[in-house]
Amino acid sequence: MSGLAPLTVREIKKWYRNPVYLIVGLLQPVFWIILFGSAFDISKFGGPFVSSFFDGAPDYITYMIGGILTITGLFTGMFSGINIIWDRRLGILQRFLVSPIKRSSIVFSRIIASVVRIIVQVVILIAIALIIPDGLKISHSFTIVDALLMVAAVLMISFIFSSIFSIIAIRMTRMETIMGITNLVNLPLMFASYALFPPDLMVSWLSDVAKYNPVSWSAESIRLLIIYGNLSGSQMSTFASYMIYLFILTVIMILLVYFVSESGIKE
Amino acid sequence: MSMIKTENLTKIYSGGTKAVDNLNIEIEEAEIYGLLGKNGAGKTTTIKMLTTAIEPTSGNAIIDGYDLKRDKEKIRRIIGVVPQDLTTDADLKGIENLRMIAAFYNIPRSDADKRIKDLLDIVDLSDWGDRYVSQYSGGMRKRLELICGLVNSPKILFLDEPTLGLDVNTRSKMWKYIKDIQKELGVTIILTSHYLEEVDQLADRISIIDHGRILITGTPESLKASLKGDVITMEFQSKEEADLARAYPGALNASLAGNSKVRMKVENSDTELPKILSYLMERNVSPLTINVKKPSLDEVFLEYTGSTIDDDIDPEQFRRMMQNVRRLR
Ligand SMILES: Nc1ncnc2c1ncn2[C@@H]1O[C@H](COP(=O)(O)OP(=O)(O)O)[C@@H](O)[C@H]1O
Ligand SMILES: [Mg+2]
Repeated sequence: MSGLAPLTVREIKKWYRNPVYLIVGLLQPVFWIILFGSAFDISKFGGPFVSSFFDGAPDYITYMIGGILTITGLFTGMFSGINIIWDRRLGILQRFLVSPIKRSSIVFSRIIASVVRIIVQVVILIAIALIIPDGLKISHSFTIVDALLMVAAVLMISFIFSSIFSIIAIRMTRMETIMGITNLVNLPLMFASYALFPPDLMVSWLSDVAKYNPVSWSAESIRLLIIYGNLSGSQMSTFASYMIYLFILTVIMILLVYFVSESGIKE
Repeated sequence: MSMIKTENLTKIYSGGTKAVDNLNIEIEEAEIYGLLGKNGAGKTTTIKMLTTAIEPTSGNAIIDGYDLKRDKEKIRRIIGVVPQDLTTDADLKGIENLRMIAAFYNIPRSDADKRIKDLLDIVDLSDWGDRYVSQYSGGMRKRLELICGLVNSPKILFLDEPTLGLDVNTRSKMWKYIKDIQKELGVTIILTSHYLEEVDQLADRISIIDHGRILITGTPESLKASLKGDVITMEFQSKEEADLARAYPGALNASLAGNSKVRMKVENSDTELPKILSYLMERNVSPLTINVKKPSLDEVFLEYTGSTIDDDIDPEQFRRMMQNVRRLR
């Protein structure tokens, strides 16, 4: 797709040259890992019975890491939208619009760069979670295939979030609007999901809502892989259905971004 | 065949502003065509339509044989654009901005680098290609913008207010670069400006645009000539003397301007002024002051639009201009 490569390269260059972006993107999840991860001790509640609520996680940090990684994708995805608005406000977008490039490559380049950023952040976060004392405990039967599946889940969920924020930004001129929208949706998306709490601890309407929340799909998939590695039959079918949901939503997003940006991106 | 021909090109913005109103212009190959008008006259809107950045509300244009409505992609390949706003990314190096643009046109890397080197040379930025754009001065940044529009070796170059926000010195340097580019690359240039001197210096042909409409088109010389005659203003001791002068038979027209001041139009002041003086001398009258004004674009502009060019600035334009000026610092 013409224009996609140079525009993506530009985004990534700008990102790695300015470490502030990376630090800001990591700050919040690192706090979560360190504070929440060690502040809640599941075993204090007593034994395997409680642990079963938490999908059998040995400790809270292991339970919630899938949620943290997903939410990192949510927050970082916002920047793909912000960058589109920024280019519009500065006038840089005018150059793109008069060039013989695919209109959608202006938006897809942002989404791809955003996914790359999220993957790098996720790798760093996992490393941090592993090295801190009483940190993340990955299953002994976790294999390279599981690692790849995990990357696939992160990839899809970050693509989905980045696309949503980019679509919002396609016609927008004000930064404040997208930040407002982000603040509005972030908390409900986060808490009405299995990212931080297991469904059995939720009132039934909340767990019903959470079932349809993509944050849950990604958080649960990652969690299953980390806690068990080698999935049993029923775990496997749960995992597979979440991954399929994520995949379908990703495809829908690709089509949506394409059609909305080809016709809708304006100066 | 003309390079650009518009047919009732019109833009009405969603707010209802008719920014461009049934525009019909024709631009020849390899000429520098100047679109002169006040802020808000519709220059930028015209350029944005012709460069495919925005859709016309109605009307159309043929650009190098391509239909503006149908062949956008093809038109984008043969035009170069330097918009009014800055379009380079300050977080990248000059050369990185240019390479990115080259990649938009699928120009192979080695060809692109050669082209970029030549372009940096033309605008004396060879030593600055490897520096971040954020370190450039305002004039350098505008020069970089200028060559951003030339990376794809366009047939037509659009320059929207290429010297907006620059000081007088930098501006005249910019004019030299634009002239050099036209000479060396033979490209057709469409230039907009609200500086009379700029179009007078650069353009082969000028159109004056006001409220989205073309008022008059011609070479700077023919426009000045169309005003017919020079203006001579003389001041006298008394009204009686002024009345005497006003009766001079060789004037195209003459009127009192103030109590003892006469303003007369003559065909050619060089030959007419001595005659006027001897006419007055014979009647024992001598003027206190004499002022001769040959027609300038200023007067042309005044004649056709009814106001001078640096009148009222519309607030939105002003905001954008200031934003630009700030970024140029
Ligand atoms: N995006 C826009 N939406 C609504 N009105 C606009 C827009 N851009 C320009 N205008 C209006 O259209 C008119 C022409 O503007 P413009 O083409 O920018 O003039 P110029 O470039 O000659 O200064 C002005 O009245 C301006 O306020
Ligand atoms: Mg303008």
